Amino acid sequence: MNSVILTADRVVKRFAGHTAVDRLSLTVPKGVIFGLLGPNGAGKTTMIRMIMNVIVPDEGTVRLFDAPGTARDFSARIGFLPEERGLYPKMRVLDVLLFLAETRGVDRRSARVKALQWLERLGLADWRMRKVSDLSKGMQQKVQFISTVLHEPDLVILDEPFSGLDPVNAQVIRDTILAWARTGRTVLFSTHIMEHAEQICDHVCIIARGQKRVDGTLSEVKRLHGGRHLSVAFDGANGGAAQVFGDRRLVAKVEDFGQYAELELTPTADAQEILKALVASGARLSKFELVAPSLHKIFIDLVGADAAHADARPEVARA
Amino acid sequence: MRKVFAILRREFVERVRTRWFWVGTILGPLLMVGIIGFQILLSTKKGGERHIAIVDATTTEFGRRLVTQLAVAVPRIHMRRVIPNPRTDSLLLDEVEAKQLDGFLLVGDSTLDFGAAEYRGSNVSSVVDMQELEGALRRLIFAARLERHGIDTLLVKQAQIPIRLATNKVSGRKLTGVSGGQSFGVGFGMAIILFVAILMYGVNVMSSVLEEKSTRVVEVLVSSLRPFQLMVGKVVGAGAVGLVQLTVWLGSAKLLSGLRWRPADAAGGVGFQFPSIPTATLVVFVVYFLLGYFLYAAIYAAVGAMSSTEAEARQAQVPVQLLMMIPYISFFALLNDPNSSLAVWMTLIPFWSPIAAPVRYGATRIPPVELAASIAMLVAAVLLVTWMAARIYRVGILMTGKRPSFKEIVRWVRAG
Repeated sequence: MNSVILTADRVVKRFAGHTAVDRLSLTVPKGVIFGLLGPNGAGKTTMIRMIMNVIVPDEGTVRLFDAPGTARDFSARIGFLPEERGLYPKMRVLDVLLFLAETRGVDRRSARVKALQWLERLGLADWRMRKVSDLSKGMQQKVQFISTVLHEPDLVILDEPFSGLDPVNAQVIRDTILAWARTGRTVLFSTHIMEHAEQICDHVCIIARGQKRVDGTLSEVKRLHGGRHLSVAFDGANGGAAQVFGDRRLVAKVEDFGQYAELELTPTADAQEILKALVASGARLSKFELVAPSLHKIFIDLVGADAAHADARPEVARA
Repeated sequence: MRKVFAILRREFVERVRTRWFWVGTILGPLLMVGIIGFQILLSTKKGGERHIAIVDATTTEFGRRLVTQLAVAVPRIHMRRVIPNPRTDSLLLDEVEAKQLDGFLLVGDSTLDFGAAEYRGSNVSSVVDMQELEGALRRLIFAARLERHGIDTLLVKQAQIPIRLATNKVSGRKLTGVSGGQSFGVGFGMAIILFVAILMYGVNVMSSVLEEKSTRVVEVLVSSLRPFQLMVGKVVGAGAVGLVQLTVWLGSAKLLSGLRWRPADAAGGVGFQFPSIPTATLVVFVVYFLLGYFLYAAIYAAVGAMSSTEAEARQAQVPVQLLMMIPYISFFALLNDPNSSLAVWMTLIPFWSPIAAPVRYGATRIPPVELAASIAMLVAAVLLVTWMAARIYRVGILMTGKRPSFKEIVRWVRAG
């Protein structure tokens, strides 16, 4: 059994009458990529800031590395990429990296070696003596990412690491995170883009309006919350298919495109029964396939209404 | 501790690397040398050749004598005597207009009797020309009046030997060899340097805090350092830059200290001496600079932390700057009467003593007890203000959005 890197126990944070995080509990096992997912304003950043001890929870506790102490006490073992990223614009790239590594307790000499390796790996070697402000936004994000992992922390916490990145750079960062996690380190990251989460997460936790909606490994979540989906296509005649799709005992939801349909089965339905009924109705099938739902669909189903609600609410001041 | 050093190091290195640091550091001594050079230039420069006419309306021999004697007294002014007729005025004005003549002096019988004379010319604003002309005229008329009453010319010459009042600052029963003018110069220079340096480095701390706040670097930093460590590293780092710069400035002032320069012909120019600065004054200066800097830098750190934008911070620091300006603008009074009760109070009140005490020390002797009390109170204020500033800083740096009210700030300070 994997040991636990991070536990949050019924954490609450309120701002001016509104509860940003509401009794949220998390358990992050060692060596996983953990996705903290939710729409804008769901409380992801607030939660991460509480984990990092940038702000203090009103209630509940955060425990890191199964030991007492705050994130500051473990600063050498944690890498943190805040949401609104920033580096010193007037500093040279290499100097920023050395400085931030130093504040994490790495000596300058070994920090220099590692920084140069990382800059080389992410294609920024030629930029090391340039000022941060001379770099493009994507390059600055890469530099910031390097600063997060330079001290080789056991736990990396990334708040929206892909926001503002073009697809190529997002791919680079994604590959780096994956490679990083393969060395047995733990990654916790937040995003509201489910495609990113689906590609790399082992474990997801979906929150909305400060509360947990789903929590588990990606496959568990898909199995328990996605329902079973059926993709059906016809070869010319679809016979009495519409009647079969209308059977509420079998089909919970249908999207019928005539020659093609997507069905969500009821929990008790047996796909074989639908197949039998379709064949009996005279439909000619060219495709009949059970498919796993995308995380995106689960997310929309779970928080869709809330997401719309949250977007309408102005960003709440974070204190 | 190593982390605090990292903050300190960054603050120092990044600042020393800027062009402004080098410009400022080199410009200080250059300015001093420049001032000396300017003074020397002023004292060597006796004004160029001048051509004037003397319109002699006297009915006695006085006018003729005046022309010959003036020519001897002020050789660089070439004179020609003109006997007035109705067209003289307009002819002379034409010559002045054509720049053939700098001007003309009107003398008549009343000049000797009542001292009335008039000069019309294009160079009336030249203080050197007018002073020399007036001085020579005065001496000649004075002598002529006495001679008219039969007093011996030699006696008159002796009577005209000028008096020179030498001033010498007394400190600790010793003559320091510092003149009144030099004392004033030292006091004035110290007031400017202290005010500018404390303000400049204080504002540096403020913008550094703001930069970290607005770029959100501070969030990463506070996840590995305590806010207090961050603030201390910042204040000490920026202060170290100030100390380096001041050392260069003071070092060059000390090198120039007491530098004397006299023109070759001692009779002519006034000469110039750079004020000599005693080492004790320098020590007092540095001590007050450091303490004053720590006091104001902590306040500036708090101001930076409670603001969100540069514009907001600039506005918020105005009261701080006004507080610092009080001793600066009253330095005239401090030097004029360095032992007045105003001066004593300013030496004791921590927000004012960093500027007032060294200025006063440069002008007079502060009793050791008073100096000790002043420093003790300043140290106490530095500790208290730093403690309060740290509490404001801790909350402020993570705060975004609207500026906190005074009540909120008081709450931040009181909150454990």
